[in-house]
Amino acid sequence: MKVRVDDSLCHGHQACAVAAPKVFGADDYGNAVVLIEGDLPADLEAGTRRAQGNCPEHAIIIDE
Amino acid sequence: MLLPPVIRASFFTQMALAQQVRLANPQPDYVAMQQAHPGGLMCPMDGIAVSFGRETTDFVLRHHELFSSAVDMPLGNVRPLIPLNIDPPKHSKYRKILDPLFSPKRMDEMEPDIAARANKFIDEFVADGECNFSEQFAEQFPSAVFLGLMGMPWDQLEMFLHLRDGILHPEKVDPAAEADFTVRFAVMNATGQEIYTYFNEQLDQREANPADDLLTHFITAEVDGDTMSREEVLDLCYLFLIAGLDTVSDSLTCLFAYLAQHPEQRQLIVDDPRVIPGAVEELLRWETPVPYGVPRVATQDVQLPNGTTLAEGTVVTVSYGGANIDPSEYPDGFDVRFDRDDNRHIAFGGGVHRCLGSHLARRELRIALAEWHRRIPQYGIKPGHEDLQFPLGLRHVKDLTLSWS
Repeated sequence: MKVRVDDSLCHGHQACAVAAPKVFGADDYGNAVVLIEGDLPADLEAGTRRAQGNCPEHAIIIDE
Repeated sequence: MLLPPVIRASFFTQMALAQQVRLANPQPDYVAMQQAHPGGLMCPMDGIAVSFGRETTDFVLRHHELFSSAVDMPLGNVRPLIPLNIDPPKHSKYRKILDPLFSPKRMDEMEPDIAARANKFIDEFVADGECNFSEQFAEQFPSAVFLGLMGMPWDQLEMFLHLRDGILHPEKVDPAAEADFTVRFAVMNATGQEIYTYFNEQLDQREANPADDLLTHFITAEVDGDTMSREEVLDLCYLFLIAGLDTVSDSLTCLFAYLAQHPEQRQLIVDDPRVIPGAVEELLRWETPVPYGVPRVATQDVQLPNGTTLAEGTVVTVSYGGANIDPSEYPDGFDVRFDRDDNRHIAFGGGVHRCLGSHLARRELRIALAEWHRRIPQYGIKPGHEDLQFPLGLRHVKDLTLSWS
């Protein structure tokens, strides 16, 4: 499973970083960045799905 | 008194809302409003609309070109508040300067200072076994954090609270302001002048002696090669004083009132402080301490997603509280669960004007919860004070009185 953020939709709520702090961080402006390149470790998949569910802008895209 | 149209609209909006949304438990009323009006859009009179539904609210927040935030707000200010009352593209310029100063990373660095300030207040009453939480903690702690951020000494706290009260609680300065709008605006306008003078002096000092604090950063920050003028910096400081202090105070009273009344959920926090970030998000959704957005004005005739058309000039207010309980978004929105996996709340608003201070606010709330429950794990509403008062304005509990053994 891989994850990315649609920068055109993200408004920096940072709900993703609350749900999955090991997977999502922020740039200097507070917008979301993905901290893990490539496939996610299995133990971070559930948190990543919660981050997607918690994003008010529907900006998180998961590629299975 | 003749008021500008947006203020008049906002006044009528508040009157309509006061009759239809209860202050103590607004959540069922938000849903009732969604069901009673097509698209969740209440139109109490021509030219005024209030959105209770998530879809319309998201649409308004995301289309700043259709809904202008450049409105007059009666807060004692003589110029628009920056960046709240500024539309893009100028708004984007300000946010480019401000967002990095309030970024999650910078706010992380402040956590030890925030915790120390929280404990300083708890020290004062922990041995008493009770406190007026609203007055002794909630109303002061966020202002104390702000002093640190602005680079001001602790002894300025009284001054800060005085300036805030003159704008947001004029009745504390002059009791006649409670019922008499002329007095109310007179107190606010006089306080407004004090705020400009106060920050002008502080900025003069920073120009002479730069420091590593927000005021100095405001003076020196550049975007596209420009620094901000003194007036622009003053308009920023003005907004920070009134927006940065009360909102967190109000949120603290809502969160602690909830936890005091739900010991089984409070125990989750005591048992494992790692649940705190999720608890803060869920309680922000449920309580939505800033229940409504700043009024916006339609810049043209606008067709909403549900097909309704709003005429140019309509003053639109969005209900964040309604959006955060809308059954189309939350089939089980009345369940308060700290581990919710569909919490797309917009308690900090949305779109380009989304709360600049949200990352600071979150840390203040998390740290207050962590430090309080570490030191006072078992508490409740003090017997005799169970009838909680939610006054008009932002959602908050007046004189929330807690006791512990």
